[in-house]
Amino acid sequence: MRIRRRKQFEDDMDAELRFHVESYVDDLIRSGFSPAEAERRARIEFGSVETKKDECRQAWGLQRLDELRADLRLTFRTIRQNPGFAAIAILSLALGIGANTAIFGVFDAVMLRLLPVRDPGQLVFVQSAGTKGRDGQPYPCFELIRDRARSFAAVSAFSPSDMELTADHGRELARGVWVSGNFYEALGVRPLIGRTLTASDDQTPGKGGPDGPVAVISRASWQQRFGGDPAVVGRTIYLYEHAVTIVGVMPTETMSLEPGRPVEIAVPMMLSNPAMLRDRTSAWLQVVGRLKPAVRAEQARAESDGLFQAYMADVQISEQIRRMLFQRIELAPAGQGLGGLRRQFSKPLTALMILAGLVLLAACVNMTNLMLARAMARQRDFAVRLAIGAGRGRLVRQHLTESLVLVGAGATLGIVLAHLGEMALAAFFAEGNNKIVLDLSLNVRMLLFTLSVAVLSGLALGIVPAMRAARLDPAAGLHGGSRGIAGNRVSLRLGRALVVVQVALSMVLLAGAGLFIRSLRQLESVDLGFAREGILTMEVTPERQLFGSSEWLAMQTDIIDRVRQIPGLRSASWATMNPLSGRDRGAILEVPGFVPRTETDKHIHLAAISPEYFDTLGVPMRLGRGFSARDHGSAPKVAILNETAARFYFGNANPIGRKVRFTNYPSRDLLYEVVGVVRDAKHDSLREPASRFIYLPIPQSVDRINRLALAARCSGDAITFAAPVRQQIQSVRSTLLIDNVSTMEKQIEQALLRERLVAALSTTFGTVALVLACIGLYGILAHAVTRRTNEIGIRMALGATRSGVVWLVLREAFALAGGGIVIGLPVVLALGQVTKASLYGVEPFDPLAFASAALLLLLFTALAATLPGRRASLLDPTSALRRE
Amino acid sequence: MGKQVELLPGTLDMLILKAVSLGGLHGYGVLLRLQQLTGGRLQIQQGSLYPALYRLERKGLIASAWGESENKRKAKFYTLTASGRKQLKAETALWRDFSSVVAGVLSAIPGES
Repeated sequence: MRIRRRKQFEDDMDAELRFHVESYVDDLIRSGFSPAEAERRARIEFGSVETKKDECRQAWGLQRLDELRADLRLTFRTIRQNPGFAAIAILSLALGIGANTAIFGVFDAVMLRLLPVRDPGQLVFVQSAGTKGRDGQPYPCFELIRDRARSFAAVSAFSPSDMELTADHGRELARGVWVSGNFYEALGVRPLIGRTLTASDDQTPGKGGPDGPVAVISRASWQQRFGGDPAVVGRTIYLYEHAVTIVGVMPTETMSLEPGRPVEIAVPMMLSNPAMLRDRTSAWLQVVGRLKPAVRAEQARAESDGLFQAYMADVQISEQIRRMLFQRIELAPAGQGLGGLRRQFSKPLTALMILAGLVLLAACVNMTNLMLARAMARQRDFAVRLAIGAGRGRLVRQHLTESLVLVGAGATLGIVLAHLGEMALAAFFAEGNNKIVLDLSLNVRMLLFTLSVAVLSGLALGIVPAMRAARLDPAAGLHGGSRGIAGNRVSLRLGRALVVVQVALSMVLLAGAGLFIRSLRQLESVDLGFAREGILTMEVTPERQLFGSSEWLAMQTDIIDRVRQIPGLRSASWATMNPLSGRDRGAILEVPGFVPRTETDKHIHLAAISPEYFDTLGVPMRLGRGFSARDHGSAPKVAILNETAARFYFGNANPIGRKVRFTNYPSRDLLYEVVGVVRDAKHDSLREPASRFIYLPIPQSVDRINRLALAARCSGDAITFAAPVRQQIQSVRSTLLIDNVSTMEKQIEQALLRERLVAALSTTFGTVALVLACIGLYGILAHAVTRRTNEIGIRMALGATRSGVVWLVLREAFALAGGGIVIGLPVVLALGQVTKASLYGVEPFDPLAFASAALLLLLFTALAATLPGRRASLLDPTSALRRE
Repeated sequence: MGKQVELLPGTLDMLILKAVSLGGLHGYGVLLRLQQLTGGRLQIQQGSLYPALYRLERKGLIASAWGESENKRKAKFYTLTASGRKQLKAETALWRDFSSVVAGVLSAIPGES
């Protein structure tokens, strides 16, 4: 198209000018000139046709295009002439740009992206807040705000929950969400097929609406569970024991407002536990309001707060709980969904963005150095162009074109690398039981990011050589040959400075990686308080009618007995939760004689366990006894504390025989006698010291026992015992639902996801920077040897040994590396201070990490110097001296 | 034929606009009209007309279309556009002011100020 237009332009111009000259010739002939003379005069008076044409093109704005085309042609020619240079340049840029794009992709997915709902900016979470932070609302309070608040165009609510489904593959656990009927309409999310839920589906407790109990499923669930069959709409599945009809398929990412935690099924609230719908104090709902266009957030907050206070005035709760949880209403932006993932990853991702930026900087410095070296090599070429009349602007543009072409190629390759990296990162996040599913497919924002990074680096790269080209003196350039002019010496000095910068960047990245790796190792080897090897864990859920029944209790003992028969399995136990499983449960403890100073002093973590629990996990008793089969439901109530709890509540006194009560459970009057103290064990986080824990026997639990976690201690690889254990459990009752099968080691890995992510990526980045620095060092040393050929020849002629010559090169290399390391050090220190909070068991000034980084750099410096050094030592003095 | 006058830099565009304003012309026609209007006293390098014509068309002051010349040949004809007309008016006024000011200065008599 453009080429055709261009040809038309040329043809027209040609015809027009020809018409002019020919008309003039005709006129001249008419006034009596001979045809030949007329031709001659016309040509003279018209002037040079080609020059005029060029001026016309320029007037028409075409010249720039022509020049660009010429620049590009020249660029491709030089790349073909020197493919090694181009390959290194493109590859290093691709690594830098790829790293940035990949990390930015994760950053975008976790930190920046708004959910694909209608006007996400208008959505707010309406949360109850208190001294303990923010939480959701009880159902009756949600109803009140939904029906009364005028500031909102719509108020809806949701609550993610594990749900038990029965479809083609028998009973299964799925992540689901209870939603108010208007949820998807309020968000403005449309179904992919079928229909979405509506307010009318959510009218009658236990029944739903006119269509009976209905549900919608996510696209992912539709693909995985139902093979993408469109006939899924209208199908009946079972939610617990109730039949529900699937009426539609929704986009996965907007099934719920919890980014990264995909939900398979959404069910109207009215089908959830009726007791929960009535409960006036349990804040299980996240309430989402859509602000009316003209309403300010503060206005909406004040209005809902008024309704909330009126509601709370009517609710029987202690003043303390009110202060902690139900003090007032706060609004939070909801366009990005709940912020759990953002909070968890904001620091590591920011750190990684910075590190990735440093890698890109290193890549750019490397490129600049390479381009500089090439510009020196081509000085003569440019001098010739200047001498025959090329404008300096043209030369500068030529340089910029070249760097942009290289950057373009680097960016393209970088996007490919980023894509591979993102797949690895997505897999990294999606591992384990609490998988985080991130949508890391390329999007416009990521491409824009890459584009701007690329253009900026292209300009940064081109600018130094371009400025040097602009200053080039054609006379000197033509005279000087390949060496010996001042410009070269300046370039070499600049090149050296750039290499020092590269080494400094590598030092920063390597030392940073060292810090993160050391921190990770410390965390991995932290004393957990329980055994980490050979422990298989899984969760077992009976049918709902068995919850809290003696039948379920009997089954538990039966399962333990059978599982223990498996050869190689040493012991097995039940508990309401295993350590590091992500589950937790709290209680409010009353200890006679202990005066709590704050409300939180009463808080304790609570687990019900079977007698084998401490033995299986390898937690030693410190005082008293463990539980036994004699601590059954009707026996005197007993409890075991961990050391932290014993010390906290009883100081140095002996807690054995003391009695405690749980005031937040219906069994608040029951006294539990402390019969033992166990060693502390980590529960939630590997970083935090152990928190206060109290253990009860399962038959004496304060609440109904439903789902339980099994732990089994095995000899050898624990995961290989999963199949036989599962078999034994199902031989007791085939309908028992087994999931979250894992090992303690896996759970530890899982708990260290962030740390592993940062350590792995910073190591990758450090390696890339190291390789780039080596390339830079090699380049500058090789160049220096070439430049000093004469000098080396003289030295050798005067009796310098070969090893002395090698040392000459090595000395320069070490001087450069040493300079870089020294410059890098304070930056590492600053970085250490910034990331101090993320480090564990390592000081920001960690001599080991720093020394290893420096040593590694020096080692690779020596490697990079070997080749040029060898070449220098093999020079033949006579021919070296004879060189120009 | 009077004395030849050299073109002041920057005035060619204005003269072309004027020439075209008197009726559509092809490039050669512009040259002939300018020679006719100046009585042949203005020195214009013929080829220089074209970059100026292209520049004016690029700026939207004149428009071009292919048509047939007096001698039945295909030729590109230029006409003045509305913005060209405005530009010509403005430049004419500017030129008048400029020349009267310059003339006033040059005709000053010693000892008067």
